[in-house]
Amino acid sequence: MHLRLSYLLIVLVSFFASGWGFLEHDGWINIDLHHALTPARPEHFSHRGNISIPSLNAGLSTIVQNPLTDSELESLKVLARQNGFYRLRATVTYPNGSSQRFLTSSKACSLLLAQFNDVLWVSLDPNGYVTGITTSQDPAPKISECTAENTQQINEKNFSSDVIIRHAELAPVPDTGSFIQKFEREREARERGEVRDNRGFFAKYWMYIVPVVLLVFISGATNQDAAK
Amino acid sequence: MDFLKSSAGTLISLLSLLLLLSTCSGLYEDQIKKFDWRSVHVGSLKHAYVDLNHFQPRVLLSTHEQVIGSLCPKTGEIIWRQVLEKKPRGDIKLLQVSGFADDSSDTAAAPMGSHLGFDMMTVQGHAPALVRGWNTNIGTIEWEWSIMPLNTERAQDAVWFYSNSVLYHVVPAWRSHIEVTSYFATSGHTTGSTSKIMAAWINPESCLLSGSFYVCLDGKQLISLDLLAKSTQVIATSLGSEPSSKIQDLPGLNGALIVDKKLVSVNKDQAVCPDLSSDSFIVGSFNRRKVIAYADLINNMLNINAVYLDDCSPVPELHLSVAFADHYGSPSLRSFDCKSTRNSDGKNCLFLLSTSAESIVAVQQGRVRWAREESLANVIDTQFLDLPLADSEGTLENEMKGKAGDIATAFMRRITTQAIQIKSLFLHVIGLGPPPTDTQRAGLVRDSFGLHKMLVLLTRSGKIFGIDNIAGKHHWQLYLPNVAGFENSEQMRLIVQRSSKHFPLQPLCAIVAKSVENGNGVLFRFNPITGQASEGGLLQLNYKIKQLALLPETEEDYVKGVLILDGANKVHVEPKHATPLAHGLYLYTADLKTAELEGYYVKYAGGELSALPIWNVRLGGHNSEQQIISVASKNPIEHVHSQGRVLGDRSVLYKYINPNLVAFVTQAPDATHKSVLNMYLIDVVSGSVIFSMTHRKVRAPLHIVHSENWLAYSYFNDKVRRTEITTIELYEGSAQANNSVWSSLQAPSMPLVERQSYIIPTIVEAMRETITERGITNKHVLIGTASGGIVEMPWHLLDPRRPISSTTQGREEGAIPYIPELPLPTENYINYNQTVARLRNIYTAPSGLESTCLVVATGLDIFVTRVAPSKTFDLLKEDFDYILISIVLVVLTSGSLIVRHLASRKLLKQAWK
Repeated sequence: MHLRLSYLLIVLVSFFASGWGFLEHDGWINIDLHHALTPARPEHFSHRGNISIPSLNAGLSTIVQNPLTDSELESLKVLARQNGFYRLRATVTYPNGSSQRFLTSSKACSLLLAQFNDVLWVSLDPNGYVTGITTSQDPAPKISECTAENTQQINEKNFSSDVIIRHAELAPVPDTGSFIQKFEREREARERGEVRDNRGFFAKYWMYIVPVVLLVFISGATNQDAAK
Repeated sequence: MDFLKSSAGTLISLLSLLLLLSTCSGLYEDQIKKFDWRSVHVGSLKHAYVDLNHFQPRVLLSTHEQVIGSLCPKTGEIIWRQVLEKKPRGDIKLLQVSGFADDSSDTAAAPMGSHLGFDMMTVQGHAPALVRGWNTNIGTIEWEWSIMPLNTERAQDAVWFYSNSVLYHVVPAWRSHIEVTSYFATSGHTTGSTSKIMAAWINPESCLLSGSFYVCLDGKQLISLDLLAKSTQVIATSLGSEPSSKIQDLPGLNGALIVDKKLVSVNKDQAVCPDLSSDSFIVGSFNRRKVIAYADLINNMLNINAVYLDDCSPVPELHLSVAFADHYGSPSLRSFDCKSTRNSDGKNCLFLLSTSAESIVAVQQGRVRWAREESLANVIDTQFLDLPLADSEGTLENEMKGKAGDIATAFMRRITTQAIQIKSLFLHVIGLGPPPTDTQRAGLVRDSFGLHKMLVLLTRSGKIFGIDNIAGKHHWQLYLPNVAGFENSEQMRLIVQRSSKHFPLQPLCAIVAKSVENGNGVLFRFNPITGQASEGGLLQLNYKIKQLALLPETEEDYVKGVLILDGANKVHVEPKHATPLAHGLYLYTADLKTAELEGYYVKYAGGELSALPIWNVRLGGHNSEQQIISVASKNPIEHVHSQGRVLGDRSVLYKYINPNLVAFVTQAPDATHKSVLNMYLIDVVSGSVIFSMTHRKVRAPLHIVHSENWLAYSYFNDKVRRTEITTIELYEGSAQANNSVWSSLQAPSMPLVERQSYIIPTIVEAMRETITERGITNKHVLIGTASGGIVEMPWHLLDPRRPISSTTQGREEGAIPYIPELPLPTENYINYNQTVARLRNIYTAPSGLESTCLVVATGLDIFVTRVAPSKTFDLLKEDFDYILISIVLVVLTSGSLIVRHLASRKLLKQAWK
């Protein structure tokens, strides 16, 4: 059993369009990964690797993962052909020594077709405790089913994983401040007489148009009478 | 010129008036009660007094829903009703009506309008305890006083009794002593100091107050103490054997108890008739003598008998035997009174009973005079069911469903059915048609717009009602005894297993509940149109129910099977023949206490079902301090018509429509932020946390609606002390990952989240989104307020994309500029003045019309109506002038024909010239 430092990936979590979630007290966690590969024994989990995240706010992680053995790869192919689930058990250890177990699954077939490239999403609650760990793969191009033929040539045995940390975000509060500011600005503008009237043409000048139209109508009618 | 000016002026003012009178979304006065109705309830009976000898005969009552009221003894209608405070503050501990005191010498009755006496007195709550005097004729409060006990925790178990104008407050300190304080009932002044009576034998399980006697059961004997006696002597009364059920007091007799269906007295001055045995006893008076009346249900016959209290001889005048319907449940006699007439032969006695199905039944003159269905004050689930088709339409439907490939045979069948239809129409016209069926006679036939439906209501007591949603008539009632809601504070469920679409087959509904006896699951299936049990009716399952899901329809009988996950994580399907359909289904469970979610994959292989755990999520935080307070999934029958939203620049923002998305809200106290509320959006197939958001200094009550790609929830903000609503919209972005099939396992990982918070200037009690057949109509959110109103709030106002500054882009998109406070205009109250007391839930269902959504709001009252969020665009107005339009059409066509004829003649003439 030779342990090999397989990949060290640095992933910057910059997916959030607005507002980062920050933890008030930063912490570290360690995640131990076990996976179930044998379809016959769903409760048998073997060791896959270890992830340590030294700072949850920074989101950097060190990943150490074992490559699959030949027999493990074979049983995974069997699992994929049965359209079974690749189940991953993650044991999270916190600085205070306590640990929690999480379970996540993905289709064995899509893991195989993604050549063992997967993403581990670690979701955190506002206090920095893990709520859930999810493994997912990029959607497989075209092929959706694993047959004996298309799994035959897959010989990759090393996992290549990205770890992405998802923080809980702070909820918005009713924005009374900016509304009052806007209101004040509008009021000031009105006082200065700077308010730009952006209503439509008819909305603005209807009081002039209507009498003119009426006048035209009435004069037309009187003209007709005169003509008679 | 002067005239011109003035006429132009009036025209302008008219025009501006027209502009101001833009469309009104409210109800017109003549539409009131046209398509809505309300039924008013009081709740299950707690105390009741029938009084037929008052100048205004009445039934005074208090209920478990903290309501006091007065009923008309003739019809059972409510004369007045007062809905008091919610529990625990409003919990009614004592109801004392003057003239109904224990001993006849005592009378607290005082001249009207004086503050010395009372008509009726209530004691409610414990900290503070409120004592109120009521005017029983009109239901107004006359006086009130309150006390704040020193030890509020102990005061929770306090009991009260009234004797000789003095109100006694009895506070037990378990296994130690009893504190008795007396107050003048009407003023609240203490009559002396609090007396402490040592009583180490009292315990919370088996003690009660009977008149002035504090009684505890201790094995085979009753230990009692007269709280009014000068000497605190403990009296022990031995019973023959240890009673199998709880002891009860017998109101009206000082020191009398009901032990194992028999009467026992611990008061040596109070004789009872110990040989009687019955399910329920009451004390009343007849011919100026005290009598004990008792009622028993034997073979669906209610037998009421009575004996004189002094010599235990029977009162034959009061004997009564009435057929008692099954759906009332088991009765218990609560009060009776006889009208004093010249020949008091007992014919004019009214017996009031409460039943286990929470009905109030009045029996008089050998029949059930009236019955009030008070279980409707606690509706827990509703369904709208389509009514069956009229026969002719049914055959047509049948024909449409026939899978005949051949055009010729299909054509022949069509011709024959139409011939039959014409024949039946002809027969119907000349009055020789076939007699109408039962459902037709009851008016239960589907209308062309699908607005007329059967409203099935499931209540907490296990009683089920079939109510006409237009007329409000109760068509049928069913009672399931010994059922209850599940663990995890999960209620019983009402599910539709087969809708009315499959014509020759009758619709099928099922109730899923827990058996009270052994905690196992119970399944009851019935026909929701007739209210009759079908498919074997009640089915006792031999396992506990943890989670349930509906399967797709089976091929042969179109039944949607119920997939049940039991306590040992095994899966079952009911009915059995639908088992193969469970293959490939995903289930999840949520434990409210620990806030742990678990996901399962259901597999059907080799004739066996198995559930494989595939994911788990822990929302509990480190020490499980977070608890789930709400779970909101989308309505499974919802259709999303529009896949995206057109932005100002004409590009499309695609909605993130994930049918497996469920919102979970957890709450926990927090050291720094007082109270923290977390909202999680979780895909319950893959178990991935899609989005999470945290609110600080915010707490329950929480109400949530989840629909399409949005979520809205209301909560109480502790910091600024107001109710707020946060709304969230999820978007995939400018491109759609897969527009035909949604797969949670290969979903876009991170939707764009738009969010905003609003202030709502009311207390929210319930929220629900409107739903329509195809989802084309705008969605509105129905918000039930604490005052009993239901406000229709357009989604445009709750939209999280409302721009702060009014930009042209926002205006192009049709978004209203952001205003922090949501408006609540009175014309948006869909129930105008028909308030729903203690509004608890709002249910919506689509009608046959795309524009219209059916609504039922439940609480203490029930309000049924319909709403049209985008106005009734597919329906003519009800005041549409058909005559005028027909006349105009006829005149126009005939006119054009005549003119054409004339024109051709003219042309001909011209040609001849």
